[in-house]
Amino acid sequence: MKNDAVYILGGFQTDFARNWARENKHIAAMMREAYQGGIESTKLEPADIKAALIGNFAGELYCMQGHLGAFFVDFDPHFDGLPTMRFEAACASGAVAAVSALAYIQAGIYDLVCVIGVEQMKTVDSAKGGDFLGTAAWYEKECVGIEFPFPKLFGKLGDEYDSRYGLDNTHLARIAQINYSNAKNNPNAQTRDWFMSYDHACAANQYNTTVSGRIKVTDCSQITDGAACVFLASQNFAAKYAGRHGLKLENIPRILGWGHATASMEFSKKVTTSKDNQYVLPMTRKAITDAYARAGIKDCWALDLIETHDCFTTSEYMAIDHFGLTNPGESWKAIEEGIIEPGGKLPINPSGGLIGCGHPVGATGVRQLLDAYKQTSGSAGDYQIENARRAATLNIGGSATTNVCFIVGNNG
Amino acid sequence: MDNRKKCCDINENIKTVAVLGASGTVGSLSGGLMAQNGLKVYFLSRTKEGSQKGLQRAIGQARSETIAQNIVCGDYEHLFEQAIGEADWVVEAVAEDVKIKQQLYERVEKYKKLGTIVSSTTSSLPLSELVQGRSEDFKRHFLSTHFYNPPGRMSACEVTGIENTDPEILDFMKDFLARRLRRVVIPVKNTVAFAGNRIAFVLFGRITTLAREFGVEMMDYLLGPYTGRLMAPLATIDLVGLDIHKAIIDSLQANTHDQMHSWLAVPGYINTMIQRNMLGRKTGGGFYKKLESGKFVFLDPVSCDYAPAIEPHFAFVEKAKHFIRMGMYKDAFETILAAQGKEADIVKDILGAYVAYSYLLVGEATEKQDGIEGIDKVMSYGFNWAAPSVIVEALGGSRAAAKLLAERGLDVPETLKSDLKSPFRIINSGKYFVAK
Repeated sequence: MKNDAVYILGGFQTDFARNWARENKHIAAMMREAYQGGIESTKLEPADIKAALIGNFAGELYCMQGHLGAFFVDFDPHFDGLPTMRFEAACASGAVAAVSALAYIQAGIYDLVCVIGVEQMKTVDSAKGGDFLGTAAWYEKECVGIEFPFPKLFGKLGDEYDSRYGLDNTHLARIAQINYSNAKNNPNAQTRDWFMSYDHACAANQYNTTVSGRIKVTDCSQITDGAACVFLASQNFAAKYAGRHGLKLENIPRILGWGHATASMEFSKKVTTSKDNQYVLPMTRKAITDAYARAGIKDCWALDLIETHDCFTTSEYMAIDHFGLTNPGESWKAIEEGIIEPGGKLPINPSGGLIGCGHPVGATGVRQLLDAYKQTSGSAGDYQIENARRAATLNIGGSATTNVCFIVGNNG
Repeated sequence: MDNRKKCCDINENIKTVAVLGASGTVGSLSGGLMAQNGLKVYFLSRTKEGSQKGLQRAIGQARSETIAQNIVCGDYEHLFEQAIGEADWVVEAVAEDVKIKQQLYERVEKYKKLGTIVSSTTSSLPLSELVQGRSEDFKRHFLSTHFYNPPGRMSACEVTGIENTDPEILDFMKDFLARRLRRVVIPVKNTVAFAGNRIAFVLFGRITTLAREFGVEMMDYLLGPYTGRLMAPLATIDLVGLDIHKAIIDSLQANTHDQMHSWLAVPGYINTMIQRNMLGRKTGGGFYKKLESGKFVFLDPVSCDYAPAIEPHFAFVEKAKHFIRMGMYKDAFETILAAQGKEADIVKDILGAYVAYSYLLVGEATEKQDGIEGIDKVMSYGFNWAAPSVIVEALGGSRAAAKLLAERGLDVPETLKSDLKSPFRIINSGKYFVAK
């Protein structure tokens, strides 16, 4: 029934350091590994899965392969005839697949749904990949003939902050340093073995080149191959699952609230429209506040951690004030006061985020949800935030065009 | 009276390291890792220029110039006394020569603090012989830290001591390597080649012998990445170097006496290759040679000349590769097991021997109480091979693996029959199976 709780029973993600093109693997292999890992870790019965929803941005471009849902049918004999479908909203493809699964479950149509986010990006060189990513923006207006359009767009986000409130690039460097440092504790993080320091993040040289304006390499998330899987269940199914596996239903994480808001495609229109709004990106803020309202929480201080969409350091900088950690324009305070660090009052991206863990575009939203599940079920291993009971995720598509926020938690 | 400063208590962290042999790959890159992790590192080699080349290599590994602020370059003549006197840990990564190492240790002992830890990166030279004539304190603080190459990508580090090594020092170093340098530490027994090289080079020995009959290209096609290794075997030997390959095989031949001993052969054509300086990548050609066109030609072991590619094609190999491409690893191995013919037998022999020898060395090269996990770790993180546990799972479990071994005329180790558990599973090892 509408508004009934939707539970997260677990899932799996692939190692984001892998290069699946070098392994000569098909994108379906990535989906299969994420699914098989999820089934093994949750011990769910394949026969109980009633639908598979796939989040993927650009399989046709990177892999010459669309219609990805169909591959799921081959993962188990029980899946012959299973309803499958694919969702796309640029980098928010994973989250829109998950929010759609939630809708199916709350409508009483399916009671156990497998959600897989997947992207294979290392099939082309960086210039071509940058061009493909441009299709997440208004391609012909914002990207044609521009090398690496997205760093440019998110550099403009930084410029907008600078013009309204002032922006010190050392705060962006600190965000990069924190996320790389967090990634060292995440066994699936793409950058876990990479070197990073604050000095390196501040430097501009042959190893940390300027990509566009204030955006250097260390300010950017990664080009990543990866897949993530979560299983979403109705309360009825979750209760039976809990009984079968000796668990308490109240300890199983569920989606407490969600928000989904789309802004105008063109970045310049977004910031022109918001010029009198204290929030630079009001639709991002709306997705967050809608999630708070549905979850029945007043503000960010009801949370124990946030997994946010740091496609660039500027987008995390924006998320800090848009979640309400500080007043608008004062995100730097949360950075300077250590609030967003793992031991701080409200840690951000303990997984490493998109900068540290990696950003396989269509998988990120699902990976964030999986990490929210891990944190609130105490199964995040070396990057566990102590006593985490409530987590938020923010998955953004394009230049903050599609915005999806989840609040995940348990009653235990 | 000994006026040298006593070393820091072993409960304190190591703060300063002196790397000897910093112009070489292992020395510079392991030293670079130490600098990346906040240690002060002296890079020493025969010349300051050599050490500075090592520094550039370390910067390239880190992809950051900022680590240079933690590295001091010098040579053995001018900076040795200062570096050794200051170091809490001395890493010796010089040439694989007993005499050279002995002489260097004698000099180290003159200047080091009491209690300074000294480690060698060797795995094939007899450790006790290296420290002959050294003091009790030197020996108590001596061990081997066998980093795998390149340390920035291969995180395995085998660790062992000699009879005199203080167990507390050994434990401290294992913890330090894991915690501070993010190494996957594998405690090994002080046996020749430890675990990883011993397993790999036994297989390489057999494969080089078979290459005489079946050809270089055929062997790497049959035993290529789809069987659970990132690089085909003869291509790996080219990377290591034919001279190093022979040195390791000779050492194993002289010092091991187990059921795989007959595989430790160096066929005549390899000696010819070494005489002709066809050592592999470092001399521009070994088993493989890259032409200006970008194409590869392959060594003909009979003539020791190069021949163009024949591009072998076997249905079972191509079918297995297709399954690997789709992430269906067990189906790929079922295909191999079902295949018939001498080419299929080669694949089964080598897979079976890999499993058999890995499980046999539990308790011999590694401690019995560590089970198969130590060997799983070294083969995965030192060689980029699917762990033997993973191969067992891919073959259908320990009973199916035992059946394969028996069919291939291999003894089934008790450790395989006892179904040892390991965290290494297919589900987290897909990256080792490459569809090529």
